[in-house]
Amino acid sequence: MAYYIGVDGGGTFTDCAAMDESGRLYFAKAATTKEDFAVGMFDALSALADECGTTVAGLIASAERFNLGTTVGTNLLVERRGARTGLLATAGHGDSILIMRGTGRTAGLELDLLFHPQATQKPVPLVPRALIREIHERIDCMGEEVVPLDEEAVEAAVRGLVNDAGATAIAIAFLWSFKNPAHELRAQEIVRKVAPEVYVSCSHQVAPRMGEYERTVATVINSYVAPASAAYFRRAADRLHESGLRHPLLIMQISGGVLPAEKAVEIPLTSLGSGPVGGLMGSLSLARGLGHKNIIATDMGGTSFEVGLIINSEPLVGEEKIIDQYRYKIPQLETTSIACGGGSIARVDPFSRSIRVGPESAGADPGPVCYGRGGTEPTVTDADVTLGLLSAERFLGGRMPLDREGALRAIAGLGEQIGLGPEETAAGILRINNTRAAELIRQQTVVRGYDPRDFVVYAYGGAGPLHAFAFAQELGVKGVVIPLGNGASTLSAYGCSTSNLVLNIERERVLFAPFPVDELNTLLVELEKQALDSMRELGKSGEEVEIERYGLMRYSGQWLHSLLVHIPPGDLTVDAIGGVVNDFRSMYDALYGQGAGVVSQGVELVTTRVHAVVRLQRPAQAVEKAFKKSVSAAGRLGTREIFWPDRMERLESEVFDGREIRYGNRIAGPAVVELPYTSVAVGVEQMLECDAFGNFLLRLEQPSARVSTYTAAHGPAGGSSS
Amino acid sequence: MNDRVTEPVKQPVDAGSEIVWDGIARGYAPPEVLSISPRLRLQTAEDPEVDPISYEVIRNSLQNINLENGHTIQKLSISPITMINRDFQCAILTETGDVMFMGPYLMYLANTLGIMTKWVLENRGESPGIEDGDVFLCSDPYVGSSHQQDTELTSPVFWKDELFCWVANSVHYSDVGGPAPGSFCLSSQTIWEDPPLFPPMKLVERGALRADMEQLYLRQSRVPATVAMDLHAALAGITVSRQRILKLLERYGAETVKAVMKRTLDAGELAFVEKLRLIPDGRWSERIYTEAALPGDTGIYVSQVNITKEGDYLTVDNEGTSPQVGSINNTYAGFVGGVLAPLTLMLAYDLGGVCGGVSRRVKFRPTPGTITCADYPAPISGAGVCNMPMVVSTATGATAKMVACADPPLRDKALGIADVHAYGGWIFNGINQHGQFFMAMHSGMAPGAIPASPGRDGIDTGGQDWVPGMEASNVEDNEMSWPVLTLFRRENKADAAGAGRYRSGVGAEEAWIIHRTDSLDTQVYNNESFAKCQGLLGGNPGGRAFFRVKRDTDVAARLAAGTVPQSVDEVTGEEIPLFWKGRPVELDVGSMWTLNFPNLAGYGDPLDREPAAVGRDLSEGKISVEDAFEVYGVVAVADGIGAGLKWMVDAEKTDEERAERRRRRLEDSRPAVEAHGLVEPLDGSERRAIGDRLGTVWTSHGARYACTCGQDLGPVQVDLKDSCRLRESPVDSIGRGYESFAKDIADKMCFREFYCPLCGARLATEVARREDDQLWDIELRL
Repeated sequence: MAYYIGVDGGGTFTDCAAMDESGRLYFAKAATTKEDFAVGMFDALSALADECGTTVAGLIASAERFNLGTTVGTNLLVERRGARTGLLATAGHGDSILIMRGTGRTAGLELDLLFHPQATQKPVPLVPRALIREIHERIDCMGEEVVPLDEEAVEAAVRGLVNDAGATAIAIAFLWSFKNPAHELRAQEIVRKVAPEVYVSCSHQVAPRMGEYERTVATVINSYVAPASAAYFRRAADRLHESGLRHPLLIMQISGGVLPAEKAVEIPLTSLGSGPVGGLMGSLSLARGLGHKNIIATDMGGTSFEVGLIINSEPLVGEEKIIDQYRYKIPQLETTSIACGGGSIARVDPFSRSIRVGPESAGADPGPVCYGRGGTEPTVTDADVTLGLLSAERFLGGRMPLDREGALRAIAGLGEQIGLGPEETAAGILRINNTRAAELIRQQTVVRGYDPRDFVVYAYGGAGPLHAFAFAQELGVKGVVIPLGNGASTLSAYGCSTSNLVLNIERERVLFAPFPVDELNTLLVELEKQALDSMRELGKSGEEVEIERYGLMRYSGQWLHSLLVHIPPGDLTVDAIGGVVNDFRSMYDALYGQGAGVVSQGVELVTTRVHAVVRLQRPAQAVEKAFKKSVSAAGRLGTREIFWPDRMERLESEVFDGREIRYGNRIAGPAVVELPYTSVAVGVEQMLECDAFGNFLLRLEQPSARVSTYTAAHGPAGGSSS
Repeated sequence: MNDRVTEPVKQPVDAGSEIVWDGIARGYAPPEVLSISPRLRLQTAEDPEVDPISYEVIRNSLQNINLENGHTIQKLSISPITMINRDFQCAILTETGDVMFMGPYLMYLANTLGIMTKWVLENRGESPGIEDGDVFLCSDPYVGSSHQQDTELTSPVFWKDELFCWVANSVHYSDVGGPAPGSFCLSSQTIWEDPPLFPPMKLVERGALRADMEQLYLRQSRVPATVAMDLHAALAGITVSRQRILKLLERYGAETVKAVMKRTLDAGELAFVEKLRLIPDGRWSERIYTEAALPGDTGIYVSQVNITKEGDYLTVDNEGTSPQVGSINNTYAGFVGGVLAPLTLMLAYDLGGVCGGVSRRVKFRPTPGTITCADYPAPISGAGVCNMPMVVSTATGATAKMVACADPPLRDKALGIADVHAYGGWIFNGINQHGQFFMAMHSGMAPGAIPASPGRDGIDTGGQDWVPGMEASNVEDNEMSWPVLTLFRRENKADAAGAGRYRSGVGAEEAWIIHRTDSLDTQVYNNESFAKCQGLLGGNPGGRAFFRVKRDTDVAARLAAGTVPQSVDEVTGEEIPLFWKGRPVELDVGSMWTLNFPNLAGYGDPLDREPAAVGRDLSEGKISVEDAFEVYGVVAVADGIGAGLKWMVDAEKTDEERAERRRRRLEDSRPAVEAHGLVEPLDGSERRAIGDRLGTVWTSHGARYACTCGQDLGPVQVDLKDSCRLRESPVDSIGRGYESFAKDIADKMCFREFYCPLCGARLATEVARREDDQLWDIELRL
């Protein structure tokens, strides 16, 4: 039996997913082992092999594909365990990465901190001043050389950095290198000659975008994580090949695609932060089967809530990333996150006598009060336990009993301060947390000109399926999908397994509308050739490669704004170019209101991008044939009283074992479906249904129904479950 | 250029007639109760029983709605000063124009939006009327904006025929007319030489943009296309937030949302009062000097802010401030906004931008006819660079001293003075490399620095605390738009400038040459004659901001020979003398110029700085071993070579050196006016600390100031500086970072250090005009 395997070595757990040649899916997970990731990975694979009814060796040997997503780079960066990296910069501009455009203190921070200077600090430098060397050289804004490269200085600097300062990686970031890379390329040659053992990357290769600060950050991070990432990718590949893997190990990229490990080690930056992308790709893959075109993919975990969008079956592409207050530009499937999750701490604001939830989080350690590991401040998870949404006995499949009394005490203590009972308080905490989640989604959609009501929410992650019933209702979306039901907690691994080979090749060159036809055509042909050549190196022929072309466009002068506009295929005519400019203007007006654009203002194309994809074949997901409306007896775990925060009342609610839910099963709310790693809440008047793929579809109540029930809920009779 | 001394004309202030604060003859000061046309129905009803959960849900939404106004402006505008440097602000206001939320942008603009909106309520209700879908535009600083370039939009949000609230924003527009490109008219002596004033006029009427009004406004500008883009961005911001507020009202009802708005303000007020209760009653002052009211003028002028705290209220005045003069004036709105910014930062840092509660507890009593509260027809356009940073700084100094007298933990929130340096403003124009006319405002202060606090160092190039979202543009962005080449942009050293027990963060310097054009006209540049940024409680003042130009340099030859010059001192050529507020200067091929945003205020006596902290700065290359010794009395020896070089502090020698310095201080200074012995605290009475060395103790003669060494520094009702030894020295001799080119102006100033007469600790410093008395800046009323 052949398998298509995805592994996500993310946070606390290493998740695995496999599809066999008949299209059946299998999931497993094991604790991540920080010392040696491979141990956790093989533990998880071993559990996966059990599910598949084979051995680890059998599983790996019969893998037709093996895709790996990892947070190793992010961990290296955040924990400052990366390579000792030296930076070669243009004379006079070595401080750019220290000055951080004056934003190092505030980039990516929550609003409340911005008004509190003493609560902010710059991050620990990735490259201390002692490892920065300035080189005399200069290119200008037209790409012309003003000062030639001082090659001797480069050689001396490299010797100094490597021999005296102990650098094991080097980043080269010169001004205007994306216009004219000659100096960077020559410096790179010198590095390779003087110190062949040292990893070196150039800014025009890593992030060829205007803006020296962001380009330098991208290059420095790339070099900083490169040696350890490469070692990690290679070790993982070696171990898998030793165990019989016959195909190249593929590494998940933030572009939403995968690249062979040997290619991924060239620029590891493109795999940094690919964790959330796995879930997004998993959602995308399932959405095709379900016929969903517009999706809000949400991942709520212990500390954060991540949102990504799929619009018209295409994931939204973002241009900028902030890690640890460092900002850089790179095309990526965009995910936005706020500190809002199960661990978010609730506190009383003494002045307004109200409750604030987050952004502080109890994290996993000590974690919520109910974990019994020393947490004392009530969290969202404690509220879940207080309300009965989470079972204290069966949390994580019963492997981690929760301290319900502790949670209740902490919540009650908070409520006393503002005169609310424990259940009212817990319900309030959820309402606030859900509004924060909904607010983030609203921002991501409405600001881009989309209406959340045209979307379906996909909810996964440890805390997502439990809270989606409320934040999705709040948004008025069409419905909620708990993707793969039981597999929702390993969706990211599943997403990795479904990803295709993807390359983004781009060039920043500002062209003013009407763009010069020949120049643009030549540029596009060049970029396409580069993409095809790279794919050929990966053993893919031209016919297999699908190419899409895009332009980042803006009104002249809008440095902080751009829209991604599709460029039609083939040799462009003047008319076709006119069409592209018109597309931009209408997108702009659609987003910011009719007449927001100024007709007299010029339009410019900033970045031209070629997106090359090779679709990797795999079987279609198996479809369950047997349809059964009601849940089997084994799936029914009885009832418990749950206080529903949207109704503000305690209702007898049925509890189900999610592992026993089959195609066609329908569950009417109020109910909770318990899964080994998460739980799904089905609110009053909501209905959960399992589809033939194993997804749980949560139907929300109709808005009209909601109004009447809401009124009833305030009356003495209360609402009733259907 | 500055070849003759100009005496600025005193502006006519008609003292004979009764001038009211009406926004016409004098800056508009809103009355407690507004006089509003009965045609306008206000929505005031509140749901008295909003539960704490709904409250938080709605509050969170309102805060996000206001941010969206800001994000929209940031994204869609095209002037770097707006989109990158965040020289704008946005607010949601109550139906009567009280500012509820501001965004993390230029803080002093927030309250001007309130003042302007209140004026609209009082003056536009009858004609042309205030209706649903309207947007008013105002660029009249006598009404509300801080100067004409900061043009403001305010729009009423109606719900069922009642005015529910307002949404507003203020954006810096690149050029709004007037004789000087960029509209900073530093030669103006009256408003008639300034850009035009637009009192509130209806730009959008019932949802439709009025072409006549739009053109009237744009027609004044040298860069109408740029201003049009920015104006449309501002309008889009207004539209976005109005639409989202209406959705909120649909969902929760007007009375509920209104209750949340009011309660948010009440909560902000309560939080502010709670902080005030940690501060003893008293009066605190700061005084900041500036030179030149016009090009060529060598006069010295004073901005003073005095904060009196009595119970749960503050009263702020500007007594001691110079009469209005030349082009260096701001109006009432600017003064109020400039004072509220540091009060919000130090006393409402935990409110996420809710500033309306703060203003309820602050009474403003500025003297009209002064440079920081000017009457018509004083020109105001220069305020953005000349006055507003100065007002913010003066208020910061007074607030910081007040906060330093508070109980912990509030005491540590005191924050030194950030920017008196005119935005590091450099405004220039010319023909760019693409052959087009351009107009540029470059903010040298954008990399910023955070000043020192009691308890921690400032932050090197840490941005601006009073413009939280401010960013510096990339060098490549600048070179793409403007015909220049940036030779370097680097951090300053942590030298004498901003030194202290805790030091300021360092600022940054940039150097430029012309590239791909023939010449540029520089309209505004800041070359300070002396350092102005007062140190906090014995700290060194911040450094001197400078803009230096050398002409006919050999930069081109050096570039051709393969090196990029890294200092203006290393190139040949003739340095031309430039004075802050000087005339426009032409920069041509062969010129090299540098722009320095200096280190800011230090806190406490530098001799009290942890030697290890100096050692750390040494090892990181942030201070030279000479300055470590000169400024801090730290003796360090090198250990290792090359990249492995570390500095080891010799603790014993450092102690000896510091003891010797303190002894010398006592020798080289003038005796105290009032001599006291050791203080004799009453048994069991508690000492109240003011910063590190100073404090108050209760004695049988009442409350008295005392040094930690036991020295009595006199009763709290008397200036403690009278009980200190005083050393006065030239202002340009404090150390590296203070040297001045403008001897005649710098000579009018001095640097004063006040020492404890017993232990020699430096308790206070001031940069002052020689002829002026010391500033009595801390007066506790215990």
